[in-house]
Amino acid sequence: MKKRLFDVDEMAAAIDRVTDEILAAFPAGEEDPVLVGIHHLGVPLSERIRDGIARRTGRELEIGKLDISMYRDDIGDRTKRLPVIEETSIPFDVNGAAIILVDDVLSTGRTIRAALDALVDYGRARMIRLAVLVDRGEPEFPIKADFIGFNVKLPPERRVAVSFGGSPFAPEEPGIFETDWHLV
Amino acid sequence: MEWNRKDLLSLYDLSGAEIEFILDTAEEFKKVSQRRVKKVPALRGKTVVNFFVEPSTRTRVSFELAEQRLSADIINMQAQTSSLLKGETLLDTVRNIEALQVDLVVMRHSTPGAQAFIAKHLKCGVVNAGDGAHSHPTQALLDLFTIREKKGRIAGLKVTIIGDILHSRVARSNIWGLLKLGAEVTVAGPSTLVPREFESIGVKVCHDLKTAVADADVVNLLRIQHERQTIGFFPSTGEYARFFGINSDTVKLMRPDALIMHPGPINRGVELTGEVADGPNSVILEQVTNGLAVRMAVLFLVAGCVKK
Repeated sequence: MKKRLFDVDEMAAAIDRVTDEILAAFPAGEEDPVLVGIHHLGVPLSERIRDGIARRTGRELEIGKLDISMYRDDIGDRTKRLPVIEETSIPFDVNGAAIILVDDVLSTGRTIRAALDALVDYGRARMIRLAVLVDRGEPEFPIKADFIGFNVKLPPERRVAVSFGGSPFAPEEPGIFETDWHLV
Repeated sequence: MEWNRKDLLSLYDLSGAEIEFILDTAEEFKKVSQRRVKKVPALRGKTVVNFFVEPSTRTRVSFELAEQRLSADIINMQAQTSSLLKGETLLDTVRNIEALQVDLVVMRHSTPGAQAFIAKHLKCGVVNAGDGAHSHPTQALLDLFTIREKKGRIAGLKVTIIGDILHSRVARSNIWGLLKLGAEVTVAGPSTLVPREFESIGVKVCHDLKTAVADADVVNLLRIQHERQTIGFFPSTGEYARFFGINSDTVKLMRPDALIMHPGPINRGVELTGEVADGPNSVILEQVTNGLAVRMAVLFLVAGCVKK
């Protein structure tokens, strides 16, 4: 069963809210933070945040992308198919940077745990913050988001699925949905 | 893409899509070795045994480094120090290894099919690091990776493999991989080492060097093993070099953008001159670099295979 939680306009407004919160935390005149989107949907989300900041303030934030497959803690135990490892690209010096990690949904916190491990291997950031479109509010790890679009409470057996419209080859309805896990 | 093989035994078993999947995975692993921290925790807590019943230096070192960069724990075993010498059977030896809760066995063996045999009996994964004259899948994968990286594709390319095709696991593995990915393959060398029978698997056979390299996009040279000469496959390495060695005059006959490859170790002055080995067409050392990335990808995939 698939149920829409937020439509495309509500989603766009939430991305604007996240962008506002980031701008409030990193005001102009101070050193710009950098954005790092986590594959898959953290990447387009980080691009939209970057574009929103550029449109409103003219500030051009640097952006990277991160695949955490090599940092997972369940290799060999998983029953799901193995993902294709997507491109990791960190085109700036992590040492001393203020990094905003970007992901679509904060659920168990395990993806973020892996992403933190990965970033540490690139250098010693001054700070790392977390921006998510949806916070499910019950992480299994002591990990909290700093910039949040929506807070959504759902039982663990239900999945939150974000869509930015799919690809030109596989279009899908944009928005935020509640689905069964087996529809993954 | 679903990867559900616990073993990598031969490219003959794989589909073109599976081969491409390994190459895609290797691209990201290549970047790991270029970072400040050249290590990822992907195989943390896993144990890999490198079991080399036939001597090997470069393949073993490449696998060992790949395992270290994936954070695996490693045990190295060689035939000279194993109980095979005390009369234990191969299967008993590897069952003893498995009883130590090992996750992967990387094995080289002089008997074709040895890895396929133990893979059938073991629950842990098995990676073939060379079995006799049969198969050397990670060498072929690193060759394919290097070609794809340099040329942007493999389908439609003309690839010529020169040397002792008859006894070469590198040649066989390359042929299977290249054909599955749509390349045109020519094998060349003395007729004693390049029999016409190879035509039956879909490659061209050529006994003239100039014809073989003329329009090739890739020329892959195999090492001439001196021991072959003593049993009469060709009169002398000097004569081999004169008829099938690549020198700067041969390079002038080739396409200017042709790649010259060699799995190593090279015999300067036999398969190719030093000038050619160190020249602009040679990608021999890049093959070594890519071998590490490809082996990391293979170990990652077989260790992460979907449990049934």
